[in-house]
Amino acid sequence: MGIGPMVSSLLRNKTGPLLVALQIAVTLAIVINSLFIVLQRIEKMSRDTGIDVDNVIVANVRGFGDDFDVADSIRNDIDLLKSIPGVSAATVTNAVPLSGGGSGTGLRTVADETIDAASAGRYQWSEEGLDAFGIELSRGRNFYPEEVHYNLPTDDTPAPASVLVTQELADALFPDEDALGKAVYWGSMEQSTIVGIIGHMHGSWVGWDKLGSVVVQPGKPGRTTNTYIVRVEPGMRDGLLPVIEQQLGESNRKRVVNSVRSLEEIAARSYRRDRGMAIILGVVITLLIGLTALVIVGLSSFHVTQRTRQIGTRRALGARRRDIVKQFMLENWIVTTAGALLGTLLTVAVAYWLETSFSLPRLDWTLLPAGILTLWVLSTLAVIEPARRAASVPPAIATRSV
Amino acid sequence: MFGYNVTLAIKSMRRNPMMTALMIAAVAVGIGVSMTTLSVYYMMSGNPIPQKSEKLFAVTLDAWNPIRPFDSNKPELPPHQVTFQDADRLLALAEGKRQVAMYESSLVVEPRNEDELPFEATARVTSGDFFAMFDVPFLHGDGWDRSSDAAAEAVVVLTKQLNERLFGGKNSVGEWLTMGGSRFQITGVIDTWEPTPRFYDPINGGFQEVNEMFIPFGLTRSLELDSNGSDWGWKSEDISSFGDWLNSEAIWLQYFVELESARDRDSFVAHLDAYAEEQKKLGRFQRPLNNRLYDVMEWMDYHEVVANDSSVLLGLSFLFLVVCLLSTITLLLTKFIGKKGETSLRRALGASRRIIFRQQIVEVAVIGFSGGLIGLALAFLGLQGIQYVYQSPPGLIRLDWVIVLTAIVAAIVSSMVAGLYPAWRVCQVPPATQLKTQ
Repeated sequence: MGIGPMVSSLLRNKTGPLLVALQIAVTLAIVINSLFIVLQRIEKMSRDTGIDVDNVIVANVRGFGDDFDVADSIRNDIDLLKSIPGVSAATVTNAVPLSGGGSGTGLRTVADETIDAASAGRYQWSEEGLDAFGIELSRGRNFYPEEVHYNLPTDDTPAPASVLVTQELADALFPDEDALGKAVYWGSMEQSTIVGIIGHMHGSWVGWDKLGSVVVQPGKPGRTTNTYIVRVEPGMRDGLLPVIEQQLGESNRKRVVNSVRSLEEIAARSYRRDRGMAIILGVVITLLIGLTALVIVGLSSFHVTQRTRQIGTRRALGARRRDIVKQFMLENWIVTTAGALLGTLLTVAVAYWLETSFSLPRLDWTLLPAGILTLWVLSTLAVIEPARRAASVPPAIATRSV
Repeated sequence: MFGYNVTLAIKSMRRNPMMTALMIAAVAVGIGVSMTTLSVYYMMSGNPIPQKSEKLFAVTLDAWNPIRPFDSNKPELPPHQVTFQDADRLLALAEGKRQVAMYESSLVVEPRNEDELPFEATARVTSGDFFAMFDVPFLHGDGWDRSSDAAAEAVVVLTKQLNERLFGGKNSVGEWLTMGGSRFQITGVIDTWEPTPRFYDPINGGFQEVNEMFIPFGLTRSLELDSNGSDWGWKSEDISSFGDWLNSEAIWLQYFVELESARDRDSFVAHLDAYAEEQKKLGRFQRPLNNRLYDVMEWMDYHEVVANDSSVLLGLSFLFLVVCLLSTITLLLTKFIGKKGETSLRRALGASRRIIFRQQIVEVAVIGFSGGLIGLALAFLGLQGIQYVYQSPPGLIRLDWVIVLTAIVAAIVSSMVAGLYPAWRVCQVPPATQLKTQ
């Protein structure tokens, strides 16, 4: 039996196959578009942060009362943290990368307010900051200890002489030149010099397109709320979390320990929407493929039962088992292919809707052939068992019931 | 008759248990997924204060950088928060029925019991009009009036939860509380109040929990309160004291006004413009006159409170429901075709087409209803899952009765629509021919 008679047989009983093809089409449209979103979120979450996220602890404390001395408290806290076995470096910082909270700034290469500035995340930490975060300097030098001063809200601190910038920010500021040693200007038009270049690090806002654009000032920012970054030896983080919380709490009762958490946990919080979306869509994809496969299995089995007599007749007229299996496979293949063609159109339509209404990025088209191939394999697998059963119908069935 | 129909339907369903299970599962999964995403969308897009959302307005003023707009993607819009100096002056002018300036801060609470450790709690620093303006329900006592704001009196209103933590839930009005070294007198305790979305501060999170306490705006200066929220600045200013910060051009406050009518709205905008003109003479407000009011739902739109992800999920999950219904139609069709013999027999014995049709529809409705119920259970699980992966505050997203009703009705109606064509096909079976061949 060739394709011709098969198509005409499908057309005679067209509603059933048409519905299955339609279902396959919508399934394809949802799966491809969802999968694309899932892959993008996974890619976003697994970017290189440039920070030793696994071995960093973030402690947040707050002093209160009139006799609270911020600089004194920071000095004692850092000494205390560094005396704990397993801690390799510690600094106070103005903000925590990957946390969703921080400070942004604009930098210019000339002191002229009318030209556009390059946006960057702004951090302030001590000479131990790079070690505390596990960030690598690609060129230039780190801050000298004598460049690092306490920066209290009551002080009138001028912009620091030296700053570090990431390579990404360096490229944005000086596209054609080497940024090392160059001058940059803050919003207040004060001048700093780039003394070191950080190969790569992420800033605070994980959804921002300038995430890798960062400038670091030397300093020990002292506020009512202070944040410490503590780097620990690999494998010791979870054991040290409660130790640090307890020791900080006991050392000074004029200070509240708001939280002691791992940077990993903080970063996971920032990405939880992305992770949530990936998980939900993953569940949807699984359910959908499962359902469509079950429907194809159920339908094929039903057809086999329905067409026992037809199969018997064909067998009696000389068709081999192989021919019967082939017939069911081919029928299924025609329906799946029709569904895939219609599904391609639908996928494009849904992708267009997502792109225009929600400014999602354009669909990666290579997913489409991969998706169609998967559908073929799946629907073939789903029809194999019913087709085998069909092939085992003995030729005698046909003659018996007439 | 209906009872007989249902009995027959159930009998028929039990004859093909796998097929029936698959159909119910298809409806259940479709309803479960779409109702889960619908609940999330419904929660995000809801009106947080329906009784007066059209009378409450967020105030925006354009005192931004003369060289470039606040948001280069929307250059026609003024910045979304206001400066302290403008908020302070507009409050003093007291135009409009009620107005509030506000921001979030935090204070260290020192429990009176020496054994308990001090802890940090978030506070909304706001004007006394806040409570009446936003219909905040009180459990004990009351808020404060405008004179307390002006005199910077140290008073505080606690939430039910904080009152529970500090005073074991008893009426604490009149008691004193030490926070950040200052003594505050408690004037009231509010009852549970969770406007969703948190319309008065979408900038710092539309779905955050309400702050733990409320203190007068007038305390900002005397206690040098820091804002927990985001701030934006554009001007190079020499800020070396808290006073400099308050007099700067940085924006970090939310300002709301309550107005009774459209005419009041117009006159309030005129009032803002007059204020801006006056400031222009002092060298501020260098941009073209652009002061705007947004009512609550406009403000939600402005801040795109409904996350894109939520709309995308809603759209995809309704397509998913379409797949589930297509499955149901296909399965019904094959099943009814398999019942040709039985139908023929019933027709031969005198059953009219109408009776056969009704029988099929009842069967589909039973499937739809069962699928809907299981779907609701799935949606309940789905929402638990969503709450877990998004770590949202407990109780934020729930299956309310609107969703429950929608789910049941949607399940029955959609499966009946799905059953129409198959049922019609069954009715076409002629009475005797099918019997002949057996």
